[in-house]
Amino acid sequence: MNSLLREVRFLLSLRSVVLAICCLFLLTAVSVGAGLAEIARQRATIARIEPQQKADVAAVAAWASKGRDPGDAAYYTFHATWDPPSDLAFAAIGTRDVSPYVLRVRALGLEAQLYEGEIGNPEAALPGRFDFAFVLVYLAPLFVILLFHDLRSGEREAGRLRALEASVGSTFELWGARVAVRAAGLFLALAIPFLVGAALAGTAPWKIGAVLAVVLAYLAFWIVLCLVVARAARSSLANAMTLAAAWMTLTLIIPAIGHIAINSAVPLQQGMELGVKQRTAVHRAWDIPKSETMDAFFRTHPEWKDTAPLTEAFHWKWYFAFHQVGDETAGDLARRYHDGVLERAAWSERLGLVTPGVATQLALHRLAATDPAAQIAYQDRIRAFHGQLGGFYYPYLFRDKPFDRADFDRAPAFQPAFDAGTWPGLLLAGVIVMTSLVAGFGWLRSKAASAWRSL
Amino acid sequence: MSVILSVAHNELRHLVRSRVALTGLILVALLTFAAALTSRAYQADQAALRERLQHAADQDFAAQPNRHPHRVVHFGHFAIRPASGLAAMDPGVEAYTGNMIFLEGHRQNSANFGDARQSSLLVRFGQLSPALVLQVIAPLLLVFIGAGMVAGERERGTLRQSLLAGVSGGALLAGKGLALGAAALAISSPAFALLLWLAVSGGARLSAVLLSAGGYLAYLAVWTLVIIAVSATARRSRSALIALVGAWTFAVVLTPRISPELAASLAPLPTRVETDIAVQRDLRAMGDSHNPNDPYFAAFKQKTLKAYGVARVEDLPVNYRGLLAVEGEKLTSSLFNRYSNQAFAAMEAQGRLMDALAVISPTMAIRRLSMTLSETDLFAYRRFLEQAEAYRYDLVQRLNRLQATAVTAADDADKSKSAAAEARSRISADHWRAMPHFNPVRPSAADVVSRAAPAFLVLLAWLAAAAFFVTRAGRRLNGSAA
Repeated sequence: MNSLLREVRFLLSLRSVVLAICCLFLLTAVSVGAGLAEIARQRATIARIEPQQKADVAAVAAWASKGRDPGDAAYYTFHATWDPPSDLAFAAIGTRDVSPYVLRVRALGLEAQLYEGEIGNPEAALPGRFDFAFVLVYLAPLFVILLFHDLRSGEREAGRLRALEASVGSTFELWGARVAVRAAGLFLALAIPFLVGAALAGTAPWKIGAVLAVVLAYLAFWIVLCLVVARAARSSLANAMTLAAAWMTLTLIIPAIGHIAINSAVPLQQGMELGVKQRTAVHRAWDIPKSETMDAFFRTHPEWKDTAPLTEAFHWKWYFAFHQVGDETAGDLARRYHDGVLERAAWSERLGLVTPGVATQLALHRLAATDPAAQIAYQDRIRAFHGQLGGFYYPYLFRDKPFDRADFDRAPAFQPAFDAGTWPGLLLAGVIVMTSLVAGFGWLRSKAASAWRSL
Repeated sequence: MSVILSVAHNELRHLVRSRVALTGLILVALLTFAAALTSRAYQADQAALRERLQHAADQDFAAQPNRHPHRVVHFGHFAIRPASGLAAMDPGVEAYTGNMIFLEGHRQNSANFGDARQSSLLVRFGQLSPALVLQVIAPLLLVFIGAGMVAGERERGTLRQSLLAGVSGGALLAGKGLALGAAALAISSPAFALLLWLAVSGGARLSAVLLSAGGYLAYLAVWTLVIIAVSATARRSRSALIALVGAWTFAVVLTPRISPELAASLAPLPTRVETDIAVQRDLRAMGDSHNPNDPYFAAFKQKTLKAYGVARVEDLPVNYRGLLAVEGEKLTSSLFNRYSNQAFAAMEAQGRLMDALAVISPTMAIRRLSMTLSETDLFAYRRFLEQAEAYRYDLVQRLNRLQATAVTAADDADKSKSAAAEARSRISADHWRAMPHFNPVRPSAADVVSRAAPAFLVLLAWLAAAAFFVTRAGRRLNGSAA
């Protein structure tokens, strides 16, 4: 206990160390603040859209209800869907800044509507968000390196090492206390702003616990790596260089190369091809006999088989049927696109098992439900909702039931789901295993070194 | 001069001897090489894919059967953004913008399938490209190599010896700067080789290549000089390292990432949904072409009748529905353009704010310079969207005019009731085959250079400031020896 207090006093007297910890604290605070501001902006947008959407539907209803034609109603009414941010999204914004979190759809072919982009400034998205996950994954290790690279070598270079080691009872106690105090300083610099942000955002306690566990595991990895490197009796600067190279490799280079490898192993050209195929399938219907389209439609929707047959004249039910058939024609590509995005995510998770930075990044985004899987889940919810829209409009269209003013209010409303996030157990285990591997390697090497000296 | 060279020579020898520093250098040089290679391969791949898709879309469009022209308006077309010449050097916003846009009547769609949306979260720090290595990674490596160059000698006491032996502070720092600069050149040479290759193989313009290379040289020189100056000023290499890592964090990481937050709060952007709703609202306010009593379209009808000198719509020599379609498209398009111009104006205001931050971070300046010259910036993207929109408008209006002139009013009116009228309302497929292809035009070299010039000047100003800083540090060294 005494040694801890002494180390705290010693630490407080080291200006550069205190400065570094304050700096990390400030960066974390800024990132949490920026994350909270962005999430507040997204919530405000979702809230702002609701009355506008209501007014839009009312205006469509005002004129479409005059003709009472269900086709007009189904064709002109857009239905809003939205994906509210989770209680942890402020800490890891993920893909929420490049993919839409509000999208309107109508009962027409979904594949032509689902991938609509958002109006965003791409130059602003380019550098990436400055959120808590970013500070933790990319910046915190740099501070670990600054604080730990010369733990022992710094004393040696200052000529104090022997005196220092002689003055304390056990060298383990000395270095243990020194490591613990510095680690605690870094941990608090990260945890305090995060906890304030979590309190403001109302984050679920288990998620707070999970984030703190991830922070601890990730810091532990870097501290252990620093200690292993620092054991080799080299100069402080050489240690710093080695650790900086490790940082670049683990946080920049391996993920960037992994990204290239994954994207070329799982190519997603289906996206663009999907658009072309769906469009062609939809418009072919104008040039083929209507019965061909209807037969294809009845194969998947037999419940409408016995409704009134089509005549020569245009009928909306045929129009909606060929949109449905168009979706089904592109269904295979859509599924492959859907699975491809998830497969890319799965591969990056595998990379995370051996790269602590990647694991930490993915763990936070999984907890915050802001990763590509969450984006796909939102698309799935839109798909299900689009199915409900069909179920709502088809009875009117196929039974020639007039669509009245009041029917507009009966349309299904989108139910946003609150993705609770999942406990990133495997990723966390990956970080811990990597930490133990590094520690084990360091231990073996120091044993080998002492064996060498004793010869 | 020989003193400077001998200092530089000594320093380089140290560098090569220090296994760690040498490994770092080789590692980053290899990384630059890998980045250049993969980026080039990826861009070539993309170029082929996009060309293939555009070709397929052109063929699909031309292969349509005889149709009513309005069917073709809805069949629409695809515009695919061609890859730009220097994108292999700096992909810029490529991953964040869609590359394919569906062009159809009555709607202005967004460009879809941007890479960032469909990729895992691995590269939230930036995609591996030569630009990323030179802008972000190279300065950090230089910091770790150079932080101790002077401060380390001070700690060991050899600095005072050199100064007492008559080496001037200026010459000493020049020598160290030369050595660090050589290291910078070594790690960035694969990127410069790529630039050269792009110029030779014809993808990029010489002016862009030269200015880009000049910009990166200035950027790396700024870092080299700042590192040497800080190392000469700091008492210990540890504090030099902390200060320089701090400067790197601030200039390379913090400023670029915080600037969008500032920009977003100063010039907020509407969402697509809000814009769609607003466009629909404005359209309803403008008039309803289906309503015979609508004031706007009643006036349009009167104007049309007067122009043709007839009293009734039935007496018009053309199909009135086609004229309505032309007028309707004109109205909707002008609304779309108004909203899209508003959004782009907001984005450009954001961009100006971010550019202004180049005063506190040279990284902002090199990013702007590099993206502009690579034609992968917002401006280039806007240019693509505007050319696609102009093409869409022209195509749709050609088809609408065909509806007015090649489809009779009677057939048009009866086509949804009688199959015979429907068949007569179809016009020859030769019309689609004769439509022009989407052929976006690149901005002129002079245009690109003039837009890149301000960022280049900012970099030169940074270079001058860094040179001033290092000269002063050199003079202070002379003073400290005396």
